[in-house]
Amino acid sequence: MRIKRDALLGFLMVLPSIIAIGIFVYGFIGWTGRVSLSNWVGLLPNYEWAGLKNYTNLLFNDPRFMVDIRNTVIFTVLFVLGCLILGLFLAVLLDQGLRGEAFFRSLFLFPMAISFIVTGVVWRWLMNPAQGSRISGLNLLFDRIGLDSLINSWHATPTWGIAAIAIPAIWQMSGYTMALYLGGLRAIPDDLREAARVDGASEVEIYRHVILPLLRPVTLSAMIILGHISLKVFDLIIAVAGKQLALDVPAIYMWTTTFDGQFYGRGAAIAMLLLLSVAILVIPYLYYTIRTEAEL
Amino acid sequence: MKRYGLMVLLLLVVLTVASCGNRTATTETDSGSAGEMSETTDSEGTTEESGDTSAETGEVEVFSWWTGGGEAAGLEAMIELFAEEYPDITFNNAAVAGGAGTNARAVLATRLQAGDPPDSWQGHAGQELIGTYVAANQIQPLNDMYEANGWMEVMPETLIPLISQDGNIYSVPVNIHRANVMWTNPTLLAEANVDVPTSWDEFFTACEAIEAMDKVCLAMGEQWTAMHLLETVLLGSLGVERYNGLWTGETDWASAEVTTALESFAQVLDHVNSDASALSWQDAAQLVVNGDAAFNIMGDWVNGYFASSPDSGGLGLTPNDAYGWAASPGTAGTFQFLSDSFVLPVDAPHPDGATAWLNVAGSKAGQEAFNPVKGSICARTDCDAALFDAYLQSAMDDWSSNEVVGSLTHGVVANDSWKSEIDTALGLFLTDRNVESFQSALAAACASIGACQ
Amino acid sequence: MASVTYNNIYKSWGEVKVIKDLNLEIRDKEFLVLVGPSGSGKSTALRLLAGLEEITSGELYIGDRLVNDVPPKDRDIAMVFQSYALYPHMSVYDNMAFGLKLRKMPAAEIEEKVKEAAGMLGLETLLDRKPKALSGGQRQRVALGRAIVRHPAVFLMDEPLSNLDAKLRVETRSQISKLHKRLDTTFVYVTHDQTEALTMADRIAVLKDGMLQQVDSPQVLYDSPKNVFVAGFIGSPAMNFFDATVTGSPEEMYIDTGGFRVRVPQSYVNALRGYGGKKVVFGIRPEDIHSARFTPGGVTGETVRGKVDMQEIMGNEIILYMDTSGSSYTARVDPRERAQIGDEVEVAFNMENMHVFDPETEEAIYA
Repeated sequence: MRIKRDALLGFLMVLPSIIAIGIFVYGFIGWTGRVSLSNWVGLLPNYEWAGLKNYTNLLFNDPRFMVDIRNTVIFTVLFVLGCLILGLFLAVLLDQGLRGEAFFRSLFLFPMAISFIVTGVVWRWLMNPAQGSRISGLNLLFDRIGLDSLINSWHATPTWGIAAIAIPAIWQMSGYTMALYLGGLRAIPDDLREAARVDGASEVEIYRHVILPLLRPVTLSAMIILGHISLKVFDLIIAVAGKQLALDVPAIYMWTTTFDGQFYGRGAAIAMLLLLSVAILVIPYLYYTIRTEAEL
Repeated sequence: MKRYGLMVLLLLVVLTVASCGNRTATTETDSGSAGEMSETTDSEGTTEESGDTSAETGEVEVFSWWTGGGEAAGLEAMIELFAEEYPDITFNNAAVAGGAGTNARAVLATRLQAGDPPDSWQGHAGQELIGTYVAANQIQPLNDMYEANGWMEVMPETLIPLISQDGNIYSVPVNIHRANVMWTNPTLLAEANVDVPTSWDEFFTACEAIEAMDKVCLAMGEQWTAMHLLETVLLGSLGVERYNGLWTGETDWASAEVTTALESFAQVLDHVNSDASALSWQDAAQLVVNGDAAFNIMGDWVNGYFASSPDSGGLGLTPNDAYGWAASPGTAGTFQFLSDSFVLPVDAPHPDGATAWLNVAGSKAGQEAFNPVKGSICARTDCDAALFDAYLQSAMDDWSSNEVVGSLTHGVVANDSWKSEIDTALGLFLTDRNVESFQSALAAACASIGACQ
Repeated sequence: MASVTYNNIYKSWGEVKVIKDLNLEIRDKEFLVLVGPSGSGKSTALRLLAGLEEITSGELYIGDRLVNDVPPKDRDIAMVFQSYALYPHMSVYDNMAFGLKLRKMPAAEIEEKVKEAAGMLGLETLLDRKPKALSGGQRQRVALGRAIVRHPAVFLMDEPLSNLDAKLRVETRSQISKLHKRLDTTFVYVTHDQTEALTMADRIAVLKDGMLQQVDSPQVLYDSPKNVFVAGFIGSPAMNFFDATVTGSPEEMYIDTGGFRVRVPQSYVNALRGYGGKKVVFGIRPEDIHSARFTPGGVTGETVRGKVDMQEIMGNEIILYMDTSGSSYTARVDPRERAQIGDEVEVAFNMENMHVFDPETEEAIYA
């Protein structure tokens, strides 16, 4: 009896949050899904059934959405790879028992505390594509130190401008990736490195054959976290470059088409596709994590 | 594993309960969920009910995005006037900052969808307002008010159709801005020995001379300023009649004339600064007065930016000296306008207050209080010219004498949905510069949303 | 095949000296055990040899080669870690093959060597498993296997048995001894457990506070410990020590602990001649204190009466915790001695096996 009462009490305690999440997360997801199947254009709700029209239009008949997908893929690949490589590099550097490690750790982690908007505003100036007499930001630096070949149009570069947006994103999130990797490195017992050393591995081989494979779960977590940030990127692009189609991504399309163009049905469909893409990324990971936890 | 199963099950149960609950709430309570809203607008009851209270309390809530600079000061001046004329009505200034009105409009949409409209709100005169709020049956015609106040006589004849739908006038324009202005750097033009171009062909010739001096010919900013440029090119290339026809369905978007206009637009873009996408309109305009660029095509808020003192965020420059202006190429004698206007909601909580506010907004005194501070001209043609600066005086002359056409970028000729589809087509064009696909996308947008249906 | 030579080796961590002037010669093919309590520097001494720590000063040779600056991978050594340090992401096979793969050995040859080692250790059926799926004993054997396949000149083991349960530890002890015979190579083995040291070692090096106390075969260490520390460390239960005074005359010399008095056998009298009336430390192992009633043949003990404070019945023997007028000691007596706690019992000290130490230097005084 006692146990049953406790369980009931516990359930009642979490019930409000379950209800809140049920309504405000899953309820609204459901509602968005419904809107995405409607013809709602304009200020007022219109739930007229449209079937999958919004989805098929986006996926098969919308050059802008194709631009978005392309931009998202480029951004995601560069951003995730950049963060992983730089983060791992910094973590390995800090793991060498550097003097003042805590200071550097905070230093590298610090950008994460800043919002993407602030990062965007700063990098908007740093990556100012102006050249000639109005040169400024990094281009000015390159000009002054004689690295003229590095001067470029950043995000105003035709076709590949989105790649420039990955730079501030990497700047911001590589510290976080470093922290993840540093945690992973610290969890690897020194014995293993020593064993490998005695086994005949050089320092490089130790990283290749022992450390990196053991960091694979960390890499996976980092990829998931960074990947879903990257799929949802919005504020950074807006802050660096404003609304412009060359740097369009699904989140921006969703926003402009819904609130500027009043295409609520289409906006909801984009939102659902975004949710789906994040889910494809996250659910296998959650499944894996839960299974691993269950094993332990 | 068992526990996770339980959690999922629970969530599903809650989800079902929650969604059912939603539906009941909509019909039974005043929760203001999306589903309920259509009911509110359909039924007259709400209007009457709240109408009763308004007379007693004597309030008016006016919603706008005038929160800074000359706009806010102008609004304050009008509010002062309102207080003098209607001392018994309390004025609530519900201004929302940010995003040049984007945020405010999102807030307004939420309030309207929740059945909680302000008594009056700001909107760009024309289709942006009509397409959104008239289509949603949210605002009422103001023809009686125009008649009673004699506004028909003091506003340009060609303006009225642009702010009307089916003979009904839906808003009271407070101010007028001109879109088709080309800002110039007189010194640079003198050095290059070129006159202010009056056609696009002259413009291209002038560009050669300017670019030979290693200067930018036309300064442009981020994507919306490209749309602003597009509308002036369309107007300059097609002429008034065909331009107006684009928005009424009389001009075929797929026609050869439009092709020519779009090709001109493409050619104009070849003379634009390479970092356009990274610049705000202020940045772009500043290129002209800094001597980096010869021309900039932008609305006449640029004048406010150039002429107002540095304390209020301007550059403190002298008109006709540091900068010059002209109608954009091919548009002389045409006034491409945009306007901020106020509306009367169908279900305003305080309709008396709202009417009082609109009376002030449309009055000579109200517009003379607002416009000199905001840096725009009156929608009325009878304002005192002495209150305005050199540029605005010239604009006032044009406003009363020119033919008036509407701006696309600023909401006069196309509703939000159409404009947003044009914006997408333009964005794609800016990346691929393919005139053919641009034109077919524009034609498709007109067919699916606009006047060509 | 190689010998190992520590020559005036020092190791400091900043101000703290963990190895002080270590001089030690480990012979080719010898099983040498480094033993000492924790903090004695035994593990550090091994890690210096492995190349995992840098030598502060002195010279370290493997064979004739000075290896101070040679990285671990070029020292021709293999090491078994206390934690086993198996690579968790590799199968048993890959764990064992890793070192060989790094040496670019042909795959066929690797397979042959791994199979051979696996056969030796009974791991044939486990080759595809990950370490996570192995028991402690199996992991320990994989760690051994990983070292074996390399055929190193010197085989290093750092407390390899301390994570095993008692029964498995005893089994594995003999397995490692056999392995040593079979591989016929130099083993250096670190442990804090003197039983392991005694049972496995050809020679034992006892360390304390970073200093080498004594190196010798187990029997010599047992019979003739050089100082109080070694005497107390080697042997279980530990040797009894008494603060005592040498009394009497050379003809009839006694050790007086204050609680009892025992006669010094003639063979020791000469050694203690200079200590008449002076303080010494008197030591005697519990196994040299017999029940007076069941004294083995050939032993003539000095009898002492004492009270039984406590007893541990081991079956084949009884360990009595005795007290004689304030002097307490442990005796390993015949199981037939059925004393009860509190009983007065007569025990016999086999004084032929007595030890005496100088109280100042703690060095042994031998006949």
